[in-house]
Amino acid sequence: MPIGIMAAIGLACGLIIYLVYIKVPQKVKGLEKTEEITSILPGMNCGACGYPGCFAYAQALSQDPDLITKTPCSQVLQDPDSLAKLEKALGCKLDAAAMCKKALVHCGGNSETVCDYSGVQTCKAAAQLLRGYRKCPYACLGLGDCVEICPQGAISIDPEKNIAIVDPEKCTGCGLCVTECPQDLIELVPAGTKVAFLCNYQPLKNIPGRERCDYGCTHCRKCFKACEFEAIEWNKETALPEFNQEKCTLCLKCVEVCPQNTLADFTKMGKEKEAELVAAK
Amino acid sequence: MSELVAIFLGMVLINNFILVRFLGLCPFFGVSKQLGSAISMGVAVTFVMAIASLATWLIRNYILIPLDIEYMHIVIFILVIATLVQIIELFIKKTNLGLYFSFGIYLPLITTNCAVLGITLINATQDYSFSSSIVAALGGGLGFTLVLAIMSGIREKLELANTPKSMKGLPIAFIIAALLGLAFVGFSGII
Repeated sequence: MPIGIMAAIGLACGLIIYLVYIKVPQKVKGLEKTEEITSILPGMNCGACGYPGCFAYAQALSQDPDLITKTPCSQVLQDPDSLAKLEKALGCKLDAAAMCKKALVHCGGNSETVCDYSGVQTCKAAAQLLRGYRKCPYACLGLGDCVEICPQGAISIDPEKNIAIVDPEKCTGCGLCVTECPQDLIELVPAGTKVAFLCNYQPLKNIPGRERCDYGCTHCRKCFKACEFEAIEWNKETALPEFNQEKCTLCLKCVEVCPQNTLADFTKMGKEKEAELVAAK
Repeated sequence: MSELVAIFLGMVLINNFILVRFLGLCPFFGVSKQLGSAISMGVAVTFVMAIASLATWLIRNYILIPLDIEYMHIVIFILVIATLVQIIELFIKKTNLGLYFSFGIYLPLITTNCAVLGITLINATQDYSFSSSIVAALGGGLGFTLVLAIMSGIREKLELANTPKSMKGLPIAFIIAALLGLAFVGFSGII
């Protein structure tokens, strides 16, 4: 008996919602454009654009189409189909390659383990104990906090190097992993980045008892000297090279000259990995 | 009449929803960063509380009590409140877009806010009359808005204050909430 009444009330509630949905006339016009844009947007409400959800973003876009150049939706930029639709809806042309961003993990991996960590298996917990259990206090701990948070499944843990690897082809540049990483290793770089720097060891901010791993940047400045196009600047605060992507011609001289292999060709990062996987199969 | 005044004051100050009954704590910290959004949230909660009290009073007195299934009030009230909020949202979206955007995200957000369920359950357990339950809902909503406004005003100032790094943001907000709660204890016993 109570179950019957419960079911009856539930059914009545559902019916009333349905009737209101069907019978109340749509008096308001002006939502069409917002709804059109909403249907193009990914609808995952990641909030990377700075608006609370895709609908709010679409609403802002319908009022001010220039907004797309200021805070572009990183998901749409990845997808040529929806980008074309959005361009049509807003009536403007977008340079997707210039606005697109990708996550890059600044660690080459293989830093030696200096102690046995058997605590909670997340990077956040491990990093609170003297910045992790690796020799290098800036090393990727490889426990996969970023793998968990990535909505695209673009990050995986490399089983050989024990570090997180981002697949640039799947990455949409939402930036969730950047805030998640307790070691501050992940950076959003422009999609057209040519050379990737795979270390974040900063000797000037050293932590007592911890040192650079055998594979990290030795701050030898060889890349800085080798570059003929002045595309590499030396950051004196961090003692690490910084790359000017506009000047870089992808000659890869810096990659060749680096004694520690901390530099890599960013344009091949995702494809190389895929080729490896194919070869492994 | 004096009974209604007593219920109203009691709901606003003495049995304040947030600081004394500890209901609706999620928006208390979630939406109390800016005064504007805090007041919008407060108005939306007050509105939904009043409508929900009205509907649940009717359902309780004309369906639940005659059929003797009062013990099912929690689950039925949840259902009714959720339906009600959905209907209101649909209706506003179709008829008044300005109002829809000014309510924004707040209206669907409070579908299952425990302060809204709380007021209907309080009305049921206290066995309030129709007018009493509406007044209680309005008083509860006003008290909710008041505390949210006070908290957001303080937090706006705190943003500029020189708080220690480890205290910035939520930790200091929790401490402020505790002090506010102590202040509201002072109201107990004025009626």
